[in-house]
Amino acid sequence: MLLLQTILSGVLIGLVYALVAVGLTLIFGVMDIVNFAHGEFLMLGMYSSFWGFALWKLDPLFTLPFTALLLFGVGAALYRVVIRRITDAPMLSQIFTTFGLMILFRGLAQYFWSPDFRSIDQSVLTGKVAFAGLQFGLPQVVAAGGAVATTGAVWWFLRFTRLGAALEATAADKEAAALMGIDAQKMFALAWGLGAACAGVAGALLSTTFPIFPEVGANFILFAFVLVALGGFGSVAGAFWAGILIGVVEVVGGYLWDPAYKLVLVLSLYLLVVWLRPQGLMGKA
Amino acid sequence: MSRAVLGRTIALAALGLAALFPLVVTSATWQNTAILMLMVAQMGVAWNILGGYAGQVSLGHAAFFGTGAYVSTLLALRFGLTPWAGMFAGAGVAAALSLVIGWPCFRLKGHYFAMATIAVGEIVQAVVNGWDLLGGAVGLSLPLHPTGFWPMVFNRSKLPYHYIALGLLLFTLLVNWLVTRSHVGYYLRAIKDEPDAARSLGVSLTRYKLYAIALSSGLAAMGGTLYAQKELLIDPGSTLSTGLSIKMSLVAIMGGVGTLTGPVIGAVLLTAIEEASRMGFGGTGRGTDMVVYGLLIVLIAVYQPSGVLGWIKQRFPASAPAAPPAPASPVEGAAP
Amino acid sequence: MPVTFRASLLAAILGAALPAAAADDVVIGVMYPLTGSAASTGLELKNAAQLAADLINGTDKSLALPLVGGGGLPGLKGAKLRLIFVDHQGSPQVGATEAERLITQEKVAAIQGAYFSSVTQTASQTAERYGVPFLNADSSSVGLTQRGFKWFFRTTPHDELFVQNAFDFLRDLEKKKGIKVHRVAILAENTEFGTGAARLQEKYAKENGYEVVAKILYPPKGTQLTSEVQKLKAARPDVVFQSSYLADAILSMRTYKDLGFLPTALLANDAGFNDSEFLKTMGKDGNDVISREVWALDLAAQKPVIGKANDIYKARHGVNFNGNSARAFTGIFALADAINRAGSTKPEAIRAALKATNMGADQLIMPWGGIQFDENGQNKKGAGIIVQVQDGKYVTVWPMGPGAKDVVWPLPAWEGR
Repeated sequence: MLLLQTILSGVLIGLVYALVAVGLTLIFGVMDIVNFAHGEFLMLGMYSSFWGFALWKLDPLFTLPFTALLLFGVGAALYRVVIRRITDAPMLSQIFTTFGLMILFRGLAQYFWSPDFRSIDQSVLTGKVAFAGLQFGLPQVVAAGGAVATTGAVWWFLRFTRLGAALEATAADKEAAALMGIDAQKMFALAWGLGAACAGVAGALLSTTFPIFPEVGANFILFAFVLVALGGFGSVAGAFWAGILIGVVEVVGGYLWDPAYKLVLVLSLYLLVVWLRPQGLMGKA
Repeated sequence: MSRAVLGRTIALAALGLAALFPLVVTSATWQNTAILMLMVAQMGVAWNILGGYAGQVSLGHAAFFGTGAYVSTLLALRFGLTPWAGMFAGAGVAAALSLVIGWPCFRLKGHYFAMATIAVGEIVQAVVNGWDLLGGAVGLSLPLHPTGFWPMVFNRSKLPYHYIALGLLLFTLLVNWLVTRSHVGYYLRAIKDEPDAARSLGVSLTRYKLYAIALSSGLAAMGGTLYAQKELLIDPGSTLSTGLSIKMSLVAIMGGVGTLTGPVIGAVLLTAIEEASRMGFGGTGRGTDMVVYGLLIVLIAVYQPSGVLGWIKQRFPASAPAAPPAPASPVEGAAP
Repeated sequence: MPVTFRASLLAAILGAALPAAAADDVVIGVMYPLTGSAASTGLELKNAAQLAADLINGTDKSLALPLVGGGGLPGLKGAKLRLIFVDHQGSPQVGATEAERLITQEKVAAIQGAYFSSVTQTASQTAERYGVPFLNADSSSVGLTQRGFKWFFRTTPHDELFVQNAFDFLRDLEKKKGIKVHRVAILAENTEFGTGAARLQEKYAKENGYEVVAKILYPPKGTQLTSEVQKLKAARPDVVFQSSYLADAILSMRTYKDLGFLPTALLANDAGFNDSEFLKTMGKDGNDVISREVWALDLAAQKPVIGKANDIYKARHGVNFNGNSARAFTGIFALADAINRAGSTKPEAIRAALKATNMGADQLIMPWGGIQFDENGQNKKGAGIIVQVQDGKYVTVWPMGPGAKDVVWPLPAWEGR
């Protein structure tokens, strides 16, 4: 029973990892850029929820659509102002840029909001979900549910809407997409907007359980990287399944083995998979 | 004056300046900043062999830097071995480790390789963190005494550290330069620019990449030993972190990837920005130093993605007759 | 080229940021982590240190501590204390670099810092080389005062004493309440702070005849602590000893509740559990947690100066003192006391004065016997206390004497709080 409980706990957190990674993989798929500042989108999503709560007593769940929109704006604006200029730069310069953005965002968050740890202590989401001898915190369950819904929505958008198809086309072949009359600039901005929004939603969903501070993105970014590479760069479905896999391996591995080495376990599994299958679980070879 | 000649002149002048600096400037703070610059430059030049010339972007090089620091420190603490020997032992161990890591990882390309090296770096950090023989999370400390040449610990004077750092940097540059001149460097460039063509010509890609990673990590490890001897405390957080790995690549990018002197210029610039923003604004406690540092990095990356040397190349295009023949590009010819 | 660039850049920035020093100020360098994940703690420490200096420099004598309201140090003809704060970013290398800059560039008379034991180690090494006194008010790693340094002084007690305190407390409690603790579990972050404490706790638990049923080290700054809590749950301990910083302290408490883990008692090792944010966040769920401390507000009942000092701090910064900020505050007073007696800013004179320091209990806002350094620079008269959260406040429960509240034991169920 304890093991089943542990596995399901792993699934719950894994789904949130997946949502963070979905945004990252979306940006990568369309632009071939690894965004080191992605955890900072999550951080901004958390602060957006926090300020909604602190200033107007609005529940993070209620402000979630606003947080998503706000982060979409941040992502798209970031593309227009900064990323647009490095679209064709070498990979290293892109890493350099987003790394600088990561430091900049953390610094700005500390500058404006102080380094204090914040938290939302009275959400509508309190209590537990218990069934069949298993129990989970309601916020975790809702966060996982929200993550599934958002990931599903992104997947549906890419699969079944014209705009989504245009985004996929740009990801597959920029030149061909341009010949079909798709404005690559718009698609790139859309990818950054959506990617940031996904991380923002993840931040909002986590904000009721996780402490909020300027460096909080650092806790999630490594897992997001692993998921993106494990699932296959650019694959939304890959990131989703990789999230569940990693969540379970981390939690169950930590339980059965030594928690001090749960990160080693996760990273070793990742290395093993990409060694056997360099394109990742669901990436295109 | 042709650019190659100008470049050589500037490089010689910079070398002279670096050699005379601590004799002219007596402020320990400035001397220390200069040493930090030399140490960071050395890391960047070492990283550049793999990341720049061979085009394999490693974001896990701290693992090798840390290996050097831990091996020489452990040998000094356990067996009283002088770090001068420990430095080479560390380089050897790091090179061996890099082959074990490199062999499977070189199956991966581009971003996949970069992500894999981050994972390797994090694994090494976590393992050392739990390894009691290596001091675990506490790390290892070297004693303040005895001081002198053989223990490579010096009291208040910065001069020895300065010249050891300078010597190590020159050694690293020399190895780098020899590599670019040899057939290995020629193949590495081919692997980076035209991997398929290189393969079709019968170049063993993996073999040459392994040469590059072994050299690169061995040299990075020597920098690790110097770090240990200078700070006298090594712990996983400061010698094995991914942040340190990224810093090594940052200086190379900032100066000019795949050029001999680019990482040196990048290191001077990055260290200056880092130290100045922290000294100027760090005491406020408002994160202003991070804002300044982050903003400057973004500005440089966006407006000068090919680094300082790229900027010079654009600003002062070489006159056609003066350009030295391939394979060495004009800027690489500017080495001391 | 490098020199001119760097020099001009630095000159521009430094020139703009630092005002020129008045000639006869006593300058003290203070280093704390002001960026990074410990920045919020660093800022509290900075505020507390600055308050101490301002009280000494001011003319308001209403707070009954030595030197307060003297308008400066009388031993140096009223020279004012000026603190220069630097950010060491939690990096040992930056710590050493900044210590050197403080000494050679800013010509500080002494340095106080650095919260992280690792940074304290390298920064005090630099001070040792230059022969400048380094006062450490808040790093508890045992080894720091075993290095045989001449210039290193530590006012706070170290981890060994704290762990001893915790077991003395358990024994006293068993006697008083007629209970028996058998099974002990240790949960600690896998860092210098956590592993050091865990090792001592394991040693003392065995010596005191308790069974250590689990020793769990977890990587800090993680995203979840589910596996750790499940392991704890499976081990069924009576008492959990925990060493965690704030983010993990909050995360673990929430996970305990969600997964229904309830030990008889939770004995925290200061850090996150005593942070000003902890109770704000946890609300009622933080009640009845027990933690080792060096300071508590309810001590004001026996020592009014504690309440007075706290009022001033709270009026300025909106929060109460805690163990960390109270220690930083006290550190500046210990330095000021020594410099004042030395009557000079010469390092050797200050060192001699520090060695002769003998501050009484009534001169401190700490529950200590006073400040007097042994030959290693460790304060001999430091002491720890044990606090428990009762109705949303930290109250002193040990040493069990007059003024100490009764311990709530065992932890009440999560439901119905």
